[in-house]
Amino acid sequence: MRNSSWRAMLRSPLVVIVLVVLVWFVATFLVLPNANLLISTFFPEGKISVRALEKLVSSERALKSLWHSFALAATLAVTVNVVGIFIVLVTDYFKIRGSRVLWLGYATTLIYGGIVLAAGYNFIYGKNGFITNAALKVFPDIDPNWFSGYFAVVVVMTLATTTNHMLFLGSSLAKIDYQTIEAARNMGASTWRILWRIVLPALRPMIFAVTVLTFLTGLGALTAPLVLGGTDFQTIAPMILTFSKSSGSRDLAALLAIILGLATIVLLAMMNRVEKSGTYFSVAKVATPLQKQRIRNPLANALVHVAAYVLFVVYALPVLLIVLFSFLESTAISTGTITWDAFTLANYATVFGTPAVLKPFVVSVVYSALASLIVVLGMLFVARVFQKHRNPVTALLEYLLHIPWILPTILIALALVMTFDRPNPLIGGQVLTGTTLLLLVAYVIIKIPFTLRLLKAAFASVPESLEDAARILGAGPLFTLRTVLVPLVLPTAAAITALNFNSLLDDYDTAVFLYHPLYEPLGLAIRASTEGENNLDAMSITFVYTVLLMIIMGFTMWLVYGRGGASSRRRGSRRGTPRAGAGLAGSGAPAAPVPAAAAAVVTVSPVPAPGP
Amino acid sequence: MHKRTFTTASVATIILSTMVLASCASAESGGSEGGGDAGGTLIVYTNSNSDGRGEWVTAQAKEAGLDIEIVGLGGADLANRIVAEKNNPVGDVVFGLNNMFFETLKSEEAVTAYEPAWSAEVDQESGDPEDGVFWPLVEQAIVTVYDTNKTPEADAPTELADLWEDSAYDGRYEVNTALGQATPQLVLAGLLAPYLDEDGDLGVSDEGWEQVEGYFAHGSPAEEGTDLYARMTRGDVDFGVLPSSGITSRDAEYGTKTGVISPADGVPYVTEQIAVIAGTPRQDAAEEFIDWFGSAETQGAFAAEFASYPVNEGARAEALPEVVELIESLPKQDIDYALTRENIGAWVEKTELEYLP
Amino acid sequence: MMIRFDDIEVTFGDHIAIPKLNLEVGQGEFFTLLGPSGCGKTTALRTLAGFIEPSAGEIYIDGKAATTLPSEKRSVGMVFQNYALFPSMSVRENIAFGLKVRKTGRSETDRLVDEIAAQVELTQEQLAKNVSELSGGQQQRVAIARALVLKPRILLLDEPLSNLDAKLRVQLREQLKNLQRELGITTVYVTHDQEEALTMSDRIAVFNHGVVEQVGTPEHIYNRSATEFVATFVGAMNRLTSEFMQQIRHAGGITLAADKSSYLRLEKVALAEPAHGASVRLDGVIADRVYQGSHSTYTIDSHGSRIRALVPEGGAQPLVAGAAATLYIDPTAILQY
Repeated sequence: MRNSSWRAMLRSPLVVIVLVVLVWFVATFLVLPNANLLISTFFPEGKISVRALEKLVSSERALKSLWHSFALAATLAVTVNVVGIFIVLVTDYFKIRGSRVLWLGYATTLIYGGIVLAAGYNFIYGKNGFITNAALKVFPDIDPNWFSGYFAVVVVMTLATTTNHMLFLGSSLAKIDYQTIEAARNMGASTWRILWRIVLPALRPMIFAVTVLTFLTGLGALTAPLVLGGTDFQTIAPMILTFSKSSGSRDLAALLAIILGLATIVLLAMMNRVEKSGTYFSVAKVATPLQKQRIRNPLANALVHVAAYVLFVVYALPVLLIVLFSFLESTAISTGTITWDAFTLANYATVFGTPAVLKPFVVSVVYSALASLIVVLGMLFVARVFQKHRNPVTALLEYLLHIPWILPTILIALALVMTFDRPNPLIGGQVLTGTTLLLLVAYVIIKIPFTLRLLKAAFASVPESLEDAARILGAGPLFTLRTVLVPLVLPTAAAITALNFNSLLDDYDTAVFLYHPLYEPLGLAIRASTEGENNLDAMSITFVYTVLLMIIMGFTMWLVYGRGGASSRRRGSRRGTPRAGAGLAGSGAPAAPVPAAAAAVVTVSPVPAPGP
Repeated sequence: MHKRTFTTASVATIILSTMVLASCASAESGGSEGGGDAGGTLIVYTNSNSDGRGEWVTAQAKEAGLDIEIVGLGGADLANRIVAEKNNPVGDVVFGLNNMFFETLKSEEAVTAYEPAWSAEVDQESGDPEDGVFWPLVEQAIVTVYDTNKTPEADAPTELADLWEDSAYDGRYEVNTALGQATPQLVLAGLLAPYLDEDGDLGVSDEGWEQVEGYFAHGSPAEEGTDLYARMTRGDVDFGVLPSSGITSRDAEYGTKTGVISPADGVPYVTEQIAVIAGTPRQDAAEEFIDWFGSAETQGAFAAEFASYPVNEGARAEALPEVVELIESLPKQDIDYALTRENIGAWVEKTELEYLP
Repeated sequence: MMIRFDDIEVTFGDHIAIPKLNLEVGQGEFFTLLGPSGCGKTTALRTLAGFIEPSAGEIYIDGKAATTLPSEKRSVGMVFQNYALFPSMSVRENIAFGLKVRKTGRSETDRLVDEIAAQVELTQEQLAKNVSELSGGQQQRVAIARALVLKPRILLLDEPLSNLDAKLRVQLREQLKNLQRELGITTVYVTHDQEEALTMSDRIAVFNHGVVEQVGTPEHIYNRSATEFVATFVGAMNRLTSEFMQQIRHAGGITLAADKSSYLRLEKVALAEPAHGASVRLDGVIADRVYQGSHSTYTIDSHGSRIRALVPEGGAQPLVAGAAATLYIDPTAILQY
């Protein structure tokens, strides 16, 4: 029973402040710059231009690429779920020997991605990959190009995008009431029937939520198709990238982006619907913590073990290879002939020999940390207001905040530079172009949609009675937010912060137009050290940077998960990070329906911390 | 308790760092806004900073008493950035971009005219003969190469069109499909240059577009992250396109012996230019840098260090003999860069939409 | 009057949850809102708490208009159905939350928390625990302590016993009532359990579809149910068929309407001749007997009705299924609607 009346909304000073700041921010940084750019793109000289649409429709290649992007997204929506659910089940649900080691292997996608990941797989299974080479020796008839095109892109992207499943589905699984499983088993249900009829249906809202994220990843796929797609399977993202860099073709880029954006909006609307109504599940009075299930059929057990470890090897190999390659001469890598002599520390020497090599790291760490903290902090308030007050204004603002998911990053960056290159009254007559602040603004902007979605879901799963209780005890909205609600969504917030931080660390697309010359971020430094006609060690140097990035990102994830897990264990509560849901369940309300899509995202699964 | 310290700490971090950033920001914006601030570090934009060039230029400039900071970006990105910033420029000087990009900067009024002290030592035809906005530094040929160890000179085609017209070369030459980049754009310009026709689509005759179609249809698309020479060594392809300055180091690295296809019409040349960015508060320092960097002495040392072919005639003597020999053996293709600049966007778009594999 | 609902109307969008509510609760009274789920009783309570703004009408607390007063200014304490304990805080922190909001000093806070904890029988050890480590009954006490520590003038309880098992529920019912009596605090209690309502309340308001059907003491509500709904919702009833009623009308001298629904409480049916009071005799056949210790519930088929009778045990030999029986019924106890 949300009290959504306007009066109530405007009576709270906190809500008013949040709304005013939000409206200003959305208008200044999201609507104004992008509207400027789009209007000048689609209405050159004040007249509407349908040129882009005509070009697009008459281009077989563009339509094919567009179709490929949608096909890839749809395929991934299926394959990522299959693999992702399997991973979550073998690490968190079934009793599998060495599940912690397995978890670490599957978690490698948390700490690397993009071109390096695609290249890593290519070096293993590609035309000159060592698995292909080995197989060719035994079966000379194999097509050396077997790992390319649609199939290869789907395989690599499937493995690379199970991150969300690991983080968010795992936590949903942990919240299933174990008694329901015991009850089902008591009635004679088999392991598979329980999984199929009890466990998966309970996870369905979360599965839906991560499916949407997967679909979006598929639509925007860039590097994997470039590296592995071959001529048969190119997607639309590279074309958007090329077109957004040319002022004459920017309308095409925008049009293509908007087509993808429309798909995004449709999905978002569906997601909002599911969050609002749809599936409900009731929280048990006293939830029993989940216990791992033994697979009773010995053959099935063996098969699942084998599959889990095969997958582990597939996941872990590219990472090991990248670490290995960072110590190899580049010719050895590119020609695929690895001998003992080829091992060298020269790549590291090159990286660390570069003057001021440390500075880009510092710059990027500061920018990424600031941006991810600011965006999470800001969205805590925004998500709270959106979740509490549903009306056309908040709905509109919410959709506007998703602009960064719809427009390509490059366009957003360009729009910012061009809008804030003169004193702007909306920001107190300041000029932002050429300052260190603009990149920060951009980083905050592009992380808003992801952050908002997950935080909103997290808030939605907090029982409303908690707020009422705080209110009747006299706590103001800010005090309630700080002392009651934020502690409950903190695990999610911390996870989002870490994910945002990691993804911003090696950003190139945004920074290239926005960075201040004296504060070069890491993505630019990496590109600079790998570009150049005479730089033949580009790939090895990329690997060195990747290894360094993996170390930083691994450390971030450890800060969020490893430590959190350790401290809560000390407190003697249940396994893993402070689990709001489990704590609540103890005092749970059997009759109170909790929107499940939301509830599912509330806490992020605990990570079996490496070490004690 | 843990959590509280976590939040407090993060809030503190945010406030502190924002203050630091903001103070930097205001200091910097103060610098770039107020036209009076002629001091401070000179910001030099370039796409020619890789392979240690950036560091070399910074160090040499320092010796000459110039305090500079190099900002290196890829050609297309750099040009976009300068245009986007033109109302509030961050950089002071730009060098290394080719004629096409400089034509764009000039038409956007993002660069401004200055006649360097060495203007008489260069062939102004290679720069901006009409207005003298930008001035040439270094010349490069965009060449199609092969490894003579694998492909004897006799087996190599004499005209580029043979590559896609002769089935023997089908799929044996690399085509770069990243048309947002400078080199692939020059290749495209070179392909279309002989077929300019005012009545044709986008100013190019149908025959010209057939050439482009053939070129991409029969080529092997470049692999992201894999060098052309690595692919040639592995036997994936036999031919590929490369700026001439990249040949020497690759022959040393891969043990190849590069041969170059020299068509009768010549090959596309790019001339890297230099200019003052319009609206810089450090006009004097920018001019001083240009006078120093383009001088015969600096260009000569640069050429000796980085195997470049300087436009400054006084510096040619310092250039490596094999570079001079190669460049002088390759005739220059006649390309109208001003016209190309106007059309390249549309050409790239058409190619991207219709002809790329 | 401590609380007065004056023509209160509550709507959710197009849906009218409470059309027009008028209620008065006296100082120190234990007042219960009783009704099936969805009847509007919780809505009424939340309106009183200040969580819901009525679309029309006034609420008066202690004689002052409080309709637009924010909940924290109404001096009400509330215990939620699921207790709404803050999972991120310890038991002590939960109880002290309201004091912390009011910036009460540390020593004073500790004193007040200890005092209320003793009253609701929470130990020091339990105070240090995390709320999730407590049992349901203990959590309920924490919730009550948290509401009472601020010394509110009104205590609101929203089905506070519904999450507990039967035995604990009966036990806590008494404790809660005793605590209320000791403190003399005006209490509004929401429940769907008529037994809870009858045993604890000073007065009860029976809700149905947002409308109060009857307000009165438990005895009043039970014995003189004002409406058919109240009669059937509160306590067990025999519904009498027209054939059965015809028999009664034949036998008795009392005028009973023929076209109304007729009901009779279980304990008003006797299987032995009562010592005094006019009664009508009817024959029947025992269908079933459920032994319940102090008494048994018999089911008797008689003149088209299946009559249940609550009969004290002891003395007479129990009747077995299939045996003939005579029912003694006081026609004045029959309720007609």
